[in-house]
Amino acid sequence: MTAATLPLSPVHADQKNAYLLGVEGLSPVEPLVQLTNIHRRFDLGKTQVTALNGVSMDVAPGEFLAVWGPSGSGKSTLMNVLGLIDLPDKGRILFDGTKTLRLEDDELTDFRAQRIGVVFQGFNLVPVLSAVENVMLPLQLRGAPHEEAQDAARKLLREVGLAKFESSRPDQLSGGQRQRVAIARALVVEPQLVIADEPTANLDSENSRMVVDLMREMNRVHSVTFVFTTHDARLLDQVDRKILLRDGEIEKDEVMA
Amino acid sequence: MKNKQPALLMLALRGLTRNRRRSLVTFLAIMLGYAGISLFAGYTHNIYRGLELQAIHGELLGHLTVQKPGMSREGKLDPERYMLNGDEIERIRAIASENQHVRLVAPRMTISGLLSNGRVSTIFVAEGIQPEAARQLRQGLAVVPALAASRNVAGGGVETLDADNRDTVAIANGLAGLMKLDVGDTGAVLVNTLGGQANASDIVVGGIFNTGNASTNDLAAFMPLELVRYLYDAEGRADRLSLLLDDTGSTAVARADLEKRFADAGLALEIQSWDELSSVYRQVREMFNMIFGFIFLIVLTVVAMSVINSMGMAVVERTREIGTLRAIGLRQRGVTRLFTSEAGLLLVIGCGVGFAVTMAVRAIVNAAGISYVPPNQVAAVPLLIDMDERMIVAAVVLAVVGLLAALIPARRAAHQPIINALGHV
Repeated sequence: MTAATLPLSPVHADQKNAYLLGVEGLSPVEPLVQLTNIHRRFDLGKTQVTALNGVSMDVAPGEFLAVWGPSGSGKSTLMNVLGLIDLPDKGRILFDGTKTLRLEDDELTDFRAQRIGVVFQGFNLVPVLSAVENVMLPLQLRGAPHEEAQDAARKLLREVGLAKFESSRPDQLSGGQRQRVAIARALVVEPQLVIADEPTANLDSENSRMVVDLMREMNRVHSVTFVFTTHDARLLDQVDRKILLRDGEIEKDEVMA
Repeated sequence: MKNKQPALLMLALRGLTRNRRRSLVTFLAIMLGYAGISLFAGYTHNIYRGLELQAIHGELLGHLTVQKPGMSREGKLDPERYMLNGDEIERIRAIASENQHVRLVAPRMTISGLLSNGRVSTIFVAEGIQPEAARQLRQGLAVVPALAASRNVAGGGVETLDADNRDTVAIANGLAGLMKLDVGDTGAVLVNTLGGQANASDIVVGGIFNTGNASTNDLAAFMPLELVRYLYDAEGRADRLSLLLDDTGSTAVARADLEKRFADAGLALEIQSWDELSSVYRQVREMFNMIFGFIFLIVLTVVAMSVINSMGMAVVERTREIGTLRAIGLRQRGVTRLFTSEAGLLLVIGCGVGFAVTMAVRAIVNAAGISYVPPNQVAAVPLLIDMDERMIVAAVVLAVVGLLAALIPARRAAHQPIINALGHV
């Protein structure tokens, strides 16, 4: 499947394609996220490791973007910076017009809570909460009433095909089911961006395919921007765009035709 | 501002179920520590109350004692100098009666001398008091029947004093045993008058009582005030006045008011409260307060260490979860609140169950009828556990210290970088 065959809404699809492909005659929308000259280093004992070395990239609204590359290429660090979970040592981040590096910790946390959903490689569900309670959690942390959060969580669990498992705890679910719960949790706050760091790394090939399909469907249905990382090239056939990262630098940025 | 607390409380409550054994151990430390300190507080409260009753009503001290300044220090050396005369007594009585809390003003006089049974003699120290005043002072014991029997140090003696029979006295059973005197027997007392003359009188043993204190039980006696005045040759006089109030809680207020009234009237007098005069009460209270403080400190330390350990382990085990919660929108303060809520729930449940255990043990102990003889006492006292406001204070202090202890690991959890927490193995 290619980006051109995706059943996007006309306006959405046109704007995104105009942005991605530079189609003349259409006014491209502003990028959702702009990373400019991002540097990030980590101290590992006495040595310093450069995870990101001057990365600059834009993410368009509604985009389904994969960042791929070998282990240690800086994919996770890029996800963390994109998701405002980690701050770069140097560079600029513009998220929907907001200079996020100027935000205080509480402001950044609230910004994340309202605009960004996160899917983790290890699912990171709260083990003592049921599936529906896990999905409700981000809304409740924002102060949403219980019933409102529960309704929204149930709706999303239905969408990801887990209506029958809403009362199940994470340890009663398979890996694929847990990741679907995690995707529902990421989407429940109706974010502008969902980042997923190696969401299929702990899954078999069948479940990996299912998770990517689900993310693609959610991207289409909810018009939410998805950026995910993978080292499995077989999962890249559905993306609008793929970025190859190597040694902390963007080696190739391909828009899928 | 939207309320995030229900979600955090729910998370905290579920958090306690993750490692049930650890939560149980912390809960038990809090519960047993609190129950222990509460029971001890209730027990010491009963001791204090018993000693209070003993001093005010059993030993007939009353709530306040009014005397000339220096009487308590030098009165025995120069009694005449500190005696109150009849006019002064009446003025004091009139002024004291204006205070709304004062129920009784009783002139008193202490006398010492030799008691003889015709064959041998020994020293005695007697309290001279009007029989009717003594009866009124003792009525307070009836308020607490469970304590009355053990704290009625003058019981069996004072009520035998008779205003119409001046020579009838009550003597402590140690003194009675020493002198081989029984009720109805006669003896003689020999004393010095205020003027230094020898004076004597026959007496009849009307009653025998137990002071409850081994150091006084072989020399104490009660005599009608009129007999003491006769022996001292001090007609109409008294060395002090005992004041009975409507309630022990009014002591400080009444004292302040009376001090002002006496000063305004130009009377140079000093007022001492029952707890200042009862050295036994003061010493026992100081000792038990010290023990209570020591035990409470141990309990606080155990609870604080348990909470720090429990929350510290929880933080380490749930570091990735903390990172996840931070990533999906929980502020640093929220993480702190989450772990302090967990500790708070443990403390509330621990103290709540501890209180229930305290009440159950209290009911059992109070119904069991256990009694014991305290050191330097000659009569058994019942082992009873009262309700005490320190039970509430202990719960509040435990909760505050426990929460402060939880803050240490909670703040550590809240301030770690999110990516470090997410990468924690």
